[in-house]
Amino acid sequence: MDDFLELTVSAMASGCIYGLMALAYLIVLRPTSIINFAIGEWSATGAFVGVGMLSTLAWPRFEGPYILAIVAVVVVLGLLGWAVERLTVRPLIRRGAAVTSPILALLGVLVIFRESLTLIYGADPLPSPPPFGFKRIEIGAFAGASQQFFIIAVTLSLFALVWLFFERTVWGRAFEAVALNRRAAALMGINLGRVTALAFAGGAAVAGLAGLLMSPMTSAHYMMGLPLAIQGFTALVIGGVGRVEGALLGGLILAFVEQLGARYLPIPSGLTLAFPFALLILFLLLRPTGLIAPREAR
Amino acid sequence: MARTRFASALAFATGFLLSAAGAYAQDVIKIGVITDRVGSGKFYAEPVTRGIELGAKMINEKGGVLGKKIQLIIEDDQNKPDVSAAKARKLVDDGVIVIMSNTGSPATQQAQTVSLETKTPHLTPANSADTLTTQLDNPWFFQTGPLASIQLATLMTYTKSRGFKKVAIVRDNSALSQSFAESFRKGLDGVGIETAVEEVIPQGTTSAVANLQKVRAAKVDAILQAGILGPEMLQFFRAYQQLGMKEPILGSYNLSIPAYLTMAKDLMEGVVFVDAYDETKPEAKAFRDIYVKEYKEEPSSLPAYGWDGIHLVAQAIEKAGSLDKEKVRAAIAATTGFSGAIGAKGSSWGFRNGGRSGFDPQGAVVRLIKNNQHGPVVHSGQK
Repeated sequence: MDDFLELTVSAMASGCIYGLMALAYLIVLRPTSIINFAIGEWSATGAFVGVGMLSTLAWPRFEGPYILAIVAVVVVLGLLGWAVERLTVRPLIRRGAAVTSPILALLGVLVIFRESLTLIYGADPLPSPPPFGFKRIEIGAFAGASQQFFIIAVTLSLFALVWLFFERTVWGRAFEAVALNRRAAALMGINLGRVTALAFAGGAAVAGLAGLLMSPMTSAHYMMGLPLAIQGFTALVIGGVGRVEGALLGGLILAFVEQLGARYLPIPSGLTLAFPFALLILFLLLRPTGLIAPREAR
Repeated sequence: MARTRFASALAFATGFLLSAAGAYAQDVIKIGVITDRVGSGKFYAEPVTRGIELGAKMINEKGGVLGKKIQLIIEDDQNKPDVSAAKARKLVDDGVIVIMSNTGSPATQQAQTVSLETKTPHLTPANSADTLTTQLDNPWFFQTGPLASIQLATLMTYTKSRGFKKVAIVRDNSALSQSFAESFRKGLDGVGIETAVEEVIPQGTTSAVANLQKVRAAKVDAILQAGILGPEMLQFFRAYQQLGMKEPILGSYNLSIPAYLTMAKDLMEGVVFVDAYDETKPEAKAFRDIYVKEYKEEPSSLPAYGWDGIHLVAQAIEKAGSLDKEKVRAAIAATTGFSGAIGAKGSSWGFRNGGRSGFDPQGAVVRLIKNNQHGPVVHSGQK
């Protein structure tokens, strides 16, 4: 039982990271219908920006407060996401390019980001200091590392904020309106370009934050983006592309399947790599809309 | 008239430049170094290259070899076998008389096709794959790095001496880690130690808690860490700490790469790993003092491989008394009793009985990680 409760904390923390990656996909996908696979590299960029702030190459003896790193990641990644939309996606949409063109262009962006990271920071993984150390914390019967509890707390807070944004603000309603019907939303006076730019900025900021939160567990390294992109996409498919809460649910399900499977199934542990792909295929075949249906289908 | 004068001046200038270049070429001994500056082998290749650079500098300060300065020509193969062969050819075209390969064993293996064809002496000071001198019958190639089999046997002797009966192996899913784990399994079988569980931490995983829980449940006496990938290794140590585990951890020689100490800072205290460097050995002490003076930091074992390698090459050229490649090759092949910074106390290198792998079977050691540093030797050799 102790093992199960320990594993629950670990799976929740991993699930929160997957959920954040799924949310980053969703924020871009809902109003634009663009699947942005570059978010994996955005998460890696977030990790490097955060580590840069905390134990920066410019001031090697300075360890800044963690909130500074979070703010820096949100601002820098938000700006990068905005710039990517302006420089790659918007020109293609203006020229009436096929719907797959922005997706392909963003795959190019993925490569540019990855190579830039290796050029700027090198190929060596960088250690990322956790904000509250890495000691074991026990809350009742649940035990985990302080970083895992920190990931869970930050993720739940962020999901609450994003949910409030979509459900309670005019801007959130504008996002939803564009998602439901772009043309009708434009006729209602919603600025499609601004919504798209904001979607990319928001998606990049969320992905960057996921990378920063993950980095104390794995270090910041230029190859960290791809697995997170796969896990986030799987979580998105499981939870459904329509609702914010679906992203979190999908992330948690994926992480619990992975970690409980690795612990209790009588299979070689290396096979856990196949879990996201198996779930992805299963959901695409049996429930392509995911567990939580989008608004228009309700 | 003016045109004739100009032509004469041009001919004179060309002749002068050519003779100057010729004189310059004769004044230096060109040694080629293949390193990895950007790829997956950078971790270990660059420190080894640093040791070669320091060694060459010291040799040159003492007057060089045969009265000539050593000039290193360094090429980057990104740890890719095909690139490594191309770089080896470029080095030969540049006129090097010896090639030193510092990147991964597969890259070095491929570069051998060039040293064999061009009859160029070729040395790897740090590669450990046992097959480097057996897969290709290349009399021009020599290996002074500690063979994987010697390191494994040393680690197994240590494991046995600690009285461990049942152990776990933890690895990642890289090819090299898989190969380490397989060697561990065979080695453990050989000394009668049971491998109770083997756990794989796959690349890209976000938690190793489930893996380490299985290890904890197996109630093993020790854990053999066969991982290669830094991020997954970090997950292992994080989960180990988080679960409050106390089982001793024994690592492969991969843990002698100093980057892990930074990445997993404060997490590796008490871990033992196999290495080929004893900092209390007089030659190692001498090397360490020079290294610290030059770079203002403590060396790991890796630069010492390069340091020894370039000294061995310099000694062979001196002994050959010429820059003739065949004579240099013969001098390297005749090396015995070479005592450098690498190797346990009392061990020495030599290419005995026509062999081309020169590391002393008793030269590997087991070291303890202490205060985030590679610490003292706790076991030496295979006895």
